[in-house]
Amino acid sequence: MKKVVEVFLLFLLLVFTPHAKGTGNSPPGKPTLNRCRSPEKETFTCWWEPGSDGGLPTTFALYYRKETSETVYECPDYHTAGKNSCFFNKNDTSIWVNYNITVVATNALGSTFSDPVDIDVVYIVKPNPPERVTVIVLEDKSWPFLRVSWEPPHKADTRSGWITLVYQIRVKLEQEKDWETHHAGQQKMFNVFSLRSGGTYLVQVRCKPDHGFWSEWSSTSYVKVPDYFHREKSVWILIMVFSAFIFLILTWLLHMNSHSLKHCILPPVPGPKIKGFDNQLLKNGKSEELFSALVVSDFPPTTSYNYEDLLVEYLEVNVPEEQELMLEENKDLHDGCLKSECSTSDSDSGRGSCDSHTLLMDKCGEAKEEERQTDQERMGTEAEDMVSPDMSSGRVKTWPSVFSPLPQYSSNTLDEQSSLEMAKQHYLSDSQFLPSSTSSYLTQPGHGTKEALGPSYWEFCLSNKQPHLLHPQTQARQQLQAHSDVDISSIGRKQAPAGLQSPLLRPTEYVEVQRVNEEDMVHLQPVVSGCGQNNCSPQMPQGEDYSKVKGVDSDNVLLLQRNMMEEDRCPCEHQETNGVKENCYTSSTVTTTQKPTAMPVQDEMVLGMNGYVDTATMCILPTY
Amino acid sequence: MHIMTVKQLGVWAILLWPYLLTVSIPLDCREEQSSLSRCPSISQEKLLDRVIQHAELIYRVSEESCSLFEEMFVPFPLQLQRNQAGYACITKALPIPSSKSEIQQISDKWLLHSVLMLVQSWIEPLVYLQTTMDRYDGAPEMLLNKTKWVSEKLISLEQGVVVLIKKMLDEGMMTTTYSEQGLFQYDVPPEMLESVMRDYTILSCFKKDAHKMEILLKLLKCRQTDTYNCYILY
Repeated sequence: MKKVVEVFLLFLLLVFTPHAKGTGNSPPGKPTLNRCRSPEKETFTCWWEPGSDGGLPTTFALYYRKETSETVYECPDYHTAGKNSCFFNKNDTSIWVNYNITVVATNALGSTFSDPVDIDVVYIVKPNPPERVTVIVLEDKSWPFLRVSWEPPHKADTRSGWITLVYQIRVKLEQEKDWETHHAGQQKMFNVFSLRSGGTYLVQVRCKPDHGFWSEWSSTSYVKVPDYFHREKSVWILIMVFSAFIFLILTWLLHMNSHSLKHCILPPVPGPKIKGFDNQLLKNGKSEELFSALVVSDFPPTTSYNYEDLLVEYLEVNVPEEQELMLEENKDLHDGCLKSECSTSDSDSGRGSCDSHTLLMDKCGEAKEEERQTDQERMGTEAEDMVSPDMSSGRVKTWPSVFSPLPQYSSNTLDEQSSLEMAKQHYLSDSQFLPSSTSSYLTQPGHGTKEALGPSYWEFCLSNKQPHLLHPQTQARQQLQAHSDVDISSIGRKQAPAGLQSPLLRPTEYVEVQRVNEEDMVHLQPVVSGCGQNNCSPQMPQGEDYSKVKGVDSDNVLLLQRNMMEEDRCPCEHQETNGVKENCYTSSTVTTTQKPTAMPVQDEMVLGMNGYVDTATMCILPTY
Repeated sequence: MHIMTVKQLGVWAILLWPYLLTVSIPLDCREEQSSLSRCPSISQEKLLDRVIQHAELIYRVSEESCSLFEEMFVPFPLQLQRNQAGYACITKALPIPSSKSEIQQISDKWLLHSVLMLVQSWIEPLVYLQTTMDRYDGAPEMLLNKTKWVSEKLISLEQGVVVLIKKMLDEGMMTTTYSEQGLFQYDVPPEMLESVMRDYTILSCFKKDAHKMEILLKLLKCRQTDTYNCYILY
């Protein structure tokens, strides 16, 4: 029994020992032929990859068969080319002949054949890299270039034409990572242009037969290009200098014209400008000082003044009723036709208080000092240009407001419809602001607030002393005109208030002030006597009437002109002290003579035409 | 590659036009003295150069045609197994030396005759190849043009080699007569794959033979110019 067991154990041992010994002996794995290469088409080498060795020492053998015969040969040389390789020398190499090659791996347990491979030596040529690569720097008209030259691999027989090689070069700068490749054909020399000065270049060459594989790249050649920047840079320096020069010139030009450019790009914003008015004071909030600056020393005019000097020529402005009077900015003056307006739809008017005469009364009744002052401000801001009631455009500049002394007015003019005095003008120039204390002037401070007058009538605001003079509306034909800052004063009526002359004149149309818009423009409307407020048809005065306001000059003098003839304008301006006269001037002339001394002389008629101003009323208002 | 080929063709055409002129005109002016036409003569070196260039070009075009055909028609597994289908190259029987050492040992005369043999044996099969190529669906125009071009140029090459033989070896030779060629069989393959493989074999073999021609001619040239070096190279 024991023996049986022993035998059994032994047997088991014998069986399992071989297994226990190794990882598992097996025939070798299948080898594979990697590649075969010929460097010069005269010899070639094949390499294979062994499979698993099966745990046993394995040997390899290579067998080949040529296409032309059935004989199987074994590899002649296993060692020259290294491990797992077979080297075929010249005698064993035939070109244009297919080789059928097989590798066999053999170990103790068996042998395994690889897959056969067919090769033709002609198609497996991979030459050695080119040799003796030299790179030199040459100059071509002071621009350097590289000349690369090389030799074919010494084994390749290109001389006899056995192999024809084509070459390729690649170049790169030392610090870059991309190569620049050039094809050199069959030549053994190549030029590389467009170099960077001072750079170091790396050059490599490789070759390939006309049928076959590219060789490896040759060893790198380094070459340094000398600096030639002084030639390159001189151009740049020239360009820089030139541009700097141009830049300087441009800057200088800009500087010279900075002013006009500034006006072009950033037009000045009109701000309040009143002579003697200090913005800073306003900001500081000290109104007393502020307003005191506005007060003219010689205002109110002293008694030395002759009232006659201060006669204000009142205007009678005829405004056709059908059109709306639009007071506009000074600049827009053109043919000043006063438009009569039967309806007060004026988009830009801020009519407020002056729209209704009652309001106007109230307003006018206020102490005008402030208003005057504000008016003055406003007046000051407005450019003194034209004032001409513009019928066609519906805009009328303000006109000289006529200040008629209330008593006069009421006594004379108000009652006398026939004659009109509209002589109100008003001085809006700073220096000539009539003080309300004179009270003979009608001012329209309310209007000064840029409110349009109500339609179809001239309104005038009386000074605080005579508020009731605002009734003109009721009187309906009495017109006053709203002051406009500049315009009115330009008539030079500044002193007129005191000296409103009696309306001499003739029976003429009345210009009704429709309203005063916020820019202190008076909307005038010609009024025909007897016409109703709203539906008067304008009638132009015949004959010699100065019903057109030509304009207001810089001195706030209303320049009138004759209505009838375009060319024959007689601006009737405010007269002198002495009398009710109409002074006709041609449009070009100016009332230099007529000015009261206190008034600034206006010299020009700046106005355009088309204001309808009643000449009669324009003339000097009677002073009382 | 195609553009280069076309350009090269143009260049060769321009370069070879005198040669073609030579070919078209009776080659041996001495024999026809009564003829009024002028006999253009060309030096032997130039002629050899041009023949070599011709052979190079033919080889390149045939290589391109073969790879094109392989890509388009031959199934991938069969691509690596040339001659596996049993179609041997038709020029198998020709005694062309197959190693450099052998080639170096043969004479000029034998070199030239080998080339001539090769050229002449391929003229007819290429013509046949053209007809079979037309049968394929979707054969690209380029492929057809290339094969056509090659067959034409082969004829020119043959004429050139004949002239060369005459000049170098002073031998009179007849140009190809088609009736002499019995190497090529005209049997129609039964199916497409066989036809494809057959044509593929033709193209591959021709490519190889074109290369042979080129190498032989180049070696010949080397011998003409630098005899010493050509013989002792290893």
